[in-house]
Amino acid sequence: MGVNDLITRVDFICKKYDKYDIDKQREANVSGDDAFTRLYSAVESALETVLQKTEDLSSEANRAKAVAMNAEIRRTKARLLQGIPKLQRLSLQKVKGISKEELDDRNDLVLSLRDKIDAIPEASAPLSACAASTSYSNIRFDNNVSGHRIDSEYFRQTEESDQFKQEFEMRRIKQDQGLDFIAEGLDTLKNMAQDINEELDRQEPLMDEIDTKIDKAATDLKSTNVRLKDTVTKMRSSRNFCLDIILLCILLGIATFIYNSVK
Amino acid sequence: MSSDPEKLMSKADKMTKLTLTRWSADWRGATELYEQAANGFRASNKYEKAKVALEKASKGQEMQSSPWDAAKHMESAAALAQKLSIWNEVSDFYRKASELYVECGRAQPASDALGKAARALEDVKPDDAIQLYTDACEILEEDGRDQMAFDLYRACANVYIKLEKFTDAATFFLRLGVAADKCDATNSQCKAYLSAIIVYLYAHDLKQAEKCYNDCSQIDAFLKSDQNRSASRLLTAYNEGDTEEIKKVASSSTVSNLDHAIIKLARKLPTGDVTAVQMNTGEDLDEDDLT
Repeated sequence: MGVNDLITRVDFICKKYDKYDIDKQREANVSGDDAFTRLYSAVESALETVLQKTEDLSSEANRAKAVAMNAEIRRTKARLLQGIPKLQRLSLQKVKGISKEELDDRNDLVLSLRDKIDAIPEASAPLSACAASTSYSNIRFDNNVSGHRIDSEYFRQTEESDQFKQEFEMRRIKQDQGLDFIAEGLDTLKNMAQDINEELDRQEPLMDEIDTKIDKAATDLKSTNVRLKDTVTKMRSSRNFCLDIILLCILLGIATFIYNSVK
Repeated sequence: MSSDPEKLMSKADKMTKLTLTRWSADWRGATELYEQAANGFRASNKYEKAKVALEKASKGQEMQSSPWDAAKHMESAAALAQKLSIWNEVSDFYRKASELYVECGRAQPASDALGKAARALEDVKPDDAIQLYTDACEILEEDGRDQMAFDLYRACANVYIKLEKFTDAATFFLRLGVAADKCDATNSQCKAYLSAIIVYLYAHDLKQAEKCYNDCSQIDAFLKSDQNRSASRLLTAYNEGDTEEIKKVASSSTVSNLDHAIIKLARKLPTGDVTAVQMNTGEDLDEDDLT
């Protein structure tokens, strides 16, 4: 077994039992005893990462990525802000082994930390596009909220957009009602149209029958008319009239002759 | 010719009786006298006598081999019998008239006569009415005029519903569907099937209704129709025991386009709490099957 092996083995064993090494711990964590210091250090490290991210952001070319990173920063900031009150409470706790001055210092530390968090810039560099969007008074889905200054403006936005949303919902409900009404009317129309269709189909062969029958009747009528005309002409022809008159005259002549002869 | 109907009647009777002097009955003269007598009686509101006169006139026409006129007289006689509420005579006369029409080769008036008879007897003797309706439908189907039969089928099914014989009513609706299929009357066909399903559901017969629905789904025309959607919604609502949904489907416009009797049934639909019970037993079976 060589020296290298020995060294690696020793390193391994040291790592395993690091937590029992008090000196090392004290070195790594200057004030690692109580909760306050632990939390404080955690918050501080988170703050540093956030600041690092903001620096990256400013150099970020891709807009989408910039937006995503912005969102991430805002989230972390909110979390940190939530952690601050807890830190404050802890700082006010009396911990043995720490003097009164240190306690006050802790309070100051917390306040300064808070300021640092607030100072994290989360608004992206104001571009002309953003400026243009702020000029719209109604709908603003823009997430550019930075600090207290924007808070009051934020509320005004929601009032207007709330009203708009309500009106939108009401109009949509009315439209739906109207459409339902129309749909019912259309259903009735459809049913009536289909029934009319079937009725017409039903009456088609009947109409054909009527057609043939009437044709037959018409031809019958025509032939009857013709025959009637013939008969009437025969009855009233001028030849018959002349014959009638001549015979009548002959009869009158015979009657006169007999009358004369008797007288 | 005296205008006293009684005298006319007696004269006509004498003309038809065979005696030593008369070797063949004079039907033509007799028929004319009978008709005149009948008119006279009708004018003086003596319906019984008018009816008798018309019967005899019809017989005379028959003897003269003019079944059309005979049938017409029979129908008038039957109408008078209806006024007098002599029901078996009503059905007899109308049947005779229908036979005479068939002799003429005119199916439509024949079935019309039976239809009139059935309508007259609907309230009084519903079973006879049903028989008459069925016969009327058969006459039309034999002649190939199915479309005219729709109304008759519907009326018959209504009579069955009034008698609360729901399976028979549903059967008639299915027959309507068959007739409609022959004429490509898809709207009537789909409405008939939906009506049948509703009738089955009203009779608490969910299994039959589902079977009916499955059978009808084999038919393309039904599958593509609004009625199909309503039927499936109704059946799923029944299977889930969802009373709200049943009521919604029952008051939808598709159901409101059916016959009045069916609409009434549909409005009363979730008949009792049978639905919930059926749903529960269904669920238990499913769980067992899965395990």
